[in-house]
Amino acid sequence: MASRYRITRAAYLASLNDFREFIKEHCANMPGMNTEKLYDVQLAVDEACTNIISHGYAGLDPGSIILDLEVAYDKLIVSLTDFGHSFEPSSAPIPDVEAPIEEREQGGFGLFFIQQSMDEMDYQATEDGNKMILIKYLSKTDGGRQ
Amino acid sequence: MKRFFRIRREPEKVVPDLGVISISLLERDATLPFTIRQLNNLPENVKRRVYRGIFPPTLLTRFGIDPIQWTSANKEAMVFLKAEPNSEKVLITAQTSPDPSTEFFALELADNSLNGIELNLIVLNDPTAQRFSIDQTEDGKPTMFGTLKRNLQAEERALGAGLAPGQVRAGLRGSRLVFEQIDTFLSILGHRAYFLEPLTYASAWVFERRGFAYVRGHKLMDDIHREFQPGGALYSCLDDESTFRRQTQANTVRGRAWAIHDGILETFGARWDNIRMVKQIGRHAGVETFPGAIY
Repeated sequence: MASRYRITRAAYLASLNDFREFIKEHCANMPGMNTEKLYDVQLAVDEACTNIISHGYAGLDPGSIILDLEVAYDKLIVSLTDFGHSFEPSSAPIPDVEAPIEEREQGGFGLFFIQQSMDEMDYQATEDGNKMILIKYLSKTDGGRQ
Repeated sequence: MKRFFRIRREPEKVVPDLGVISISLLERDATLPFTIRQLNNLPENVKRRVYRGIFPPTLLTRFGIDPIQWTSANKEAMVFLKAEPNSEKVLITAQTSPDPSTEFFALELADNSLNGIELNLIVLNDPTAQRFSIDQTEDGKPTMFGTLKRNLQAEERALGAGLAPGQVRAGLRGSRLVFEQIDTFLSILGHRAYFLEPLTYASAWVFERRGFAYVRGHKLMDDIHREFQPGGALYSCLDDESTFRRQTQANTVRGRAWAIHDGILETFGARWDNIRMVKQIGRHAGVETFPGAIY
């Protein structure tokens, strides 16, 4: 049976550390978890939350970000819920990671980092908020299912 | 190896107007939400059956009100439903006697522009408790619960009696029951969330405890908590020069709420407006902006 944990914080940068610590507290000792995977999850949540803070709640007095962790035997499911502007995938620039560093545009790497760090990502904007679901598989080093 | 990355936007936030509720409509997709307007267009007795679901029955029976007939033992109407055809609002009130001053419950739900649901009003009063006229001026003009005008003398008495701003009577202590019932009612209609704008800091705190999160204003609530700590900007404005700004008020939800009602947020350029909260059906958000609070 999966274990579920939740933390809700205001959408501003000072909350990011709370999210990182929360993930560490509940996930560091999961079977199959290691320092690298834990860092991947923290990085993805950092980036997703930064997007919510910078874009989702842009122009608004920031509302909440709800972080849910579902710890199953072979995977970690992370859900981030917010109530700001929904994310428009088509408006997200695709970063040119091959370009020389001095020619690269600033920003735009958030989604890229999330994709690199996690195995699956899903995003929905619904009546009860915007939800990003991130999955990290733990049973194999390549991130795939057994 | 990445498995997949899916980004989608569904369902569309704007729900199509499905028209009048009929058997054939009920047989369609059960996840499509019904609006208040659709319910209000139902025949009177059907509408009454549906809206009966808003009330926790024990809230009525504790006052001797029949939860089906909505009447007292003397067959007098004690619950009143205002749900006009084509209206996007429903107001339900309940009182313990034919005298309207014994009203103990009022709840207004409304459709919003995204076909979501707004909780416009919820009042849960102890009808036996002393009444404080903070809702009207000395000459009887409405104050909109102290937001438009203030009756300072009545407010001082209310504060002294342990009430929060906006309250005319002590609360009924039944909000958990009522919010659980609203969740149930709205899930039957097919809604996943509903929204409200808290009148005061104290009501926002109560809504946090009932599982609400913030659409707007979570950071403001954090700022308020921080600035009420010793040395903070709000704490230093509690100068004991008025009933509404005593230093001990920093330690309680009600105390902070009265100081905010008195305009203390202007100290750091903020105002108590535009706060918006959301309750996801069946979920408790776990927000706690005043850890270890004393009410």
